[in-house]
Amino acid sequence: MLSLFAKLFHALNSESSTRQISLAIALGFIVGLSPLLTLHNIAFLFIVLFLRVNIGGFILAWGFFKGVSYLLSSLIIMVGESILTAEPLQPLFDHLYQFSLFKLAHLHHTYTLGALVVGCLFAIPLYFLCNFFIEKYRIHIKAFFDKFRIVKALKASKFYSVYSQISGQGALS
Amino acid sequence: MSRFIRWQGLVSFFVIIALIMTFVYFFADALVKKGIEKSGEWYLGAEVNVTDVEIKYAPLTLNIEGFQATDPEKSTHNLVSFSQASAGIDVWQYLFGKIYISELNISGLRIDQPRLTTGEVYTSSSKGVEDGSEGADESALPELDMSLPTVDDLLNNSDLLTIKHGKALVQSYQTEKKKLNDIYETLPDKDSLASYNEKIKVLSKTKIKTLADIAKLNEAFKALKKQFKADQAIVKHAKQQVTASKTLLSKQTKALKDAPNADWKNIESKYQLDTVDGADFAHLLFGEQAREYFDYADTVYQTIAPLVNSSKVDKGAKPSIGEGRFIHFYDETPLPDVLIEQAHFSLILPQGEFAISGKELTHQHWVRGNNSVVEVTSDNVQGTGELSLALEFSLDQNHVLKSDGKWQLADVDLKSVPLQESSAFNLTLDSGLLSGNGTFSFLDDQINSENKLNLNNTQYTGTGTSHLSTLFIDTVQSLKTLALTITAKGKITDPRLSVSSPLDKELKKSMMKQVSNKLTGFKSDVVTGLNTKLTESLGFSREEEQSFVDVESLINDTDKALDNLMNSDVVKAKKKAFEDKQKKKLEDKVKKKLGDLFG
Repeated sequence: MLSLFAKLFHALNSESSTRQISLAIALGFIVGLSPLLTLHNIAFLFIVLFLRVNIGGFILAWGFFKGVSYLLSSLIIMVGESILTAEPLQPLFDHLYQFSLFKLAHLHHTYTLGALVVGCLFAIPLYFLCNFFIEKYRIHIKAFFDKFRIVKALKASKFYSVYSQISGQGALS
Repeated sequence: MSRFIRWQGLVSFFVIIALIMTFVYFFADALVKKGIEKSGEWYLGAEVNVTDVEIKYAPLTLNIEGFQATDPEKSTHNLVSFSQASAGIDVWQYLFGKIYISELNISGLRIDQPRLTTGEVYTSSSKGVEDGSEGADESALPELDMSLPTVDDLLNNSDLLTIKHGKALVQSYQTEKKKLNDIYETLPDKDSLASYNEKIKVLSKTKIKTLADIAKLNEAFKALKKQFKADQAIVKHAKQQVTASKTLLSKQTKALKDAPNADWKNIESKYQLDTVDGADFAHLLFGEQAREYFDYADTVYQTIAPLVNSSKVDKGAKPSIGEGRFIHFYDETPLPDVLIEQAHFSLILPQGEFAISGKELTHQHWVRGNNSVVEVTSDNVQGTGELSLALEFSLDQNHVLKSDGKWQLADVDLKSVPLQESSAFNLTLDSGLLSGNGTFSFLDDQINSENKLNLNNTQYTGTGTSHLSTLFIDTVQSLKTLALTITAKGKITDPRLSVSSPLDKELKKSMMKQVSNKLTGFKSDVVTGLNTKLTESLGFSREEEQSFVDVESLINDTDKALDNLMNSDVVKAKKKAFEDKQKKKLEDKVKKKLGDLFG
């Protein structure tokens, strides 16, 4: 876990593209909200591995948003339920239901569909928010925090030694 | 391109997928085993054990060895256990969110078997242990604990209505008599009435010469009338008292006359002499056994009901918190969420081994429009008995359960079946050959069942603690065959049981014959004693009644005499006589004057 955090901090402080880190967090958000073994999660895992997305950021975001998903489960189910039972969408779902892929992806399950819809909808603003904050962090916040004694103390800690090791070896981008 | 794409990631992806699949392949058995145990424990609230699980992939078949589910109410026993089960599962349908089992086989299914080690119980169930005797109609089980008291003891009992009403009548006669005597003292006596007559006579003889004499006479008569009126008021009050006394006493006399019959009824009821005539013997003997079997049905219903109620698929239903649900849309070949197309169980009970087969087992029958069919057969019920049972059931979208079934039983050898264990008597069916048939139907939670049973070659043993219960046992022991009709109607949780037998009448007759001599003699002695008490009370009352009649007659005479006195208008008569006399005088005077004039 420490290594993961260290990798994330290294990525934040390195010259890695902010978009790579933001995309990792946004994808981690989508995958984190959804049930673990779903077809669309496998597809997102493929995207994360195939595209140059920060893997440390993705794993941390996945873990974090998995925890958040328990708090949001009622909202997620309500969204899924509303979409799947909406009268105007019935012909569409009747049509989609004839495809095995639709059923295999469990998109006719209220939680799975709700999580995918909520995840995809909020992933876009989350991506831009992360972009904004990482840029701000790199310009202002890092320098600001470096002045604090606590940061200096942290730099003397085990966490920082792990971080330094990773920085020295070069992190996964 | 390489700025965006990570080619080595592609390899990582396939490696991860391969690792997951390898993990599933090697650990699926253990995962499913754990899954069955944990979900079973979560549902039951008690330890569930599975010896081994094996998954075959082509076709997907799940084999379960050694399943044991602890009974949360009795942790030393298993609620259910089986030695082996196999289920052929459709993988695609499973991945689509449906459980479609083409064939399910369970062998060595046992209920309520002792465990090797006591199972853990995680939650205390709110459901109490169903006691077979719970809810039994106690009135149908009269304890024939008859120990008749002696007739003298009974008749000396101060609670007898005959004695109570007799005492009350005597008391009332005395009270009412006192009241009448008090009034009697205030009534005008014969002397007073004679004095009134004398006064009237004197007034009627008064000589009237002037109008002033009439006025004087009128005053004297008015004074006399005032006295009459006062006396009449006393007489009226006396008459009212006589009427009230008569009403009260006649009511009490009637109650006294009815008391012996009421007393006998109470004695019959208290010493359960009436139960011999009205006892539901068939229910008394077999009601408890029948209720136990219907309690099994209730237990099964209580276990299944929560599953049935949660099965409703309603697109308008509120979303459930936590897990969500599958919503299925139009399908050319629709399937329920759970469907077992064919099932074969071998159920082993202390009564024998039963082969159970099921078809189209589901909780969503409306999806395919087929009913579930269950058949139970056995050829070794209690040794050599044969059973066949056929049942069809279906649930509609509103959770309404509809079920019809019939059963047939032949040559079941019964041994040592306890029929009655009470403080009054014990009775056991030592041996008998049972056969029968029946039908049953369920509509929602309502049961309607009619079952006919025939018991042949019966032998009973029993002991009674009273004379009557011994007689009853003797009578039952003399019966070698018995036909029974058991019906159950109403709520499955509390059905109205009726156990009747054509032999009921014969049994009653036989019982009555045996007890009639004792009972008739007893009844005759008690009724005679009661009637004697009645006669004594009524004899006393007759003497008192005569004195009542005397008082009443006197009051009536006095009233009549006062009426006559009131109506004797002396003043009017005297006034008329005076007027006539004056008129005559005037006429004579006029005639004399006219004679002188016309001479």
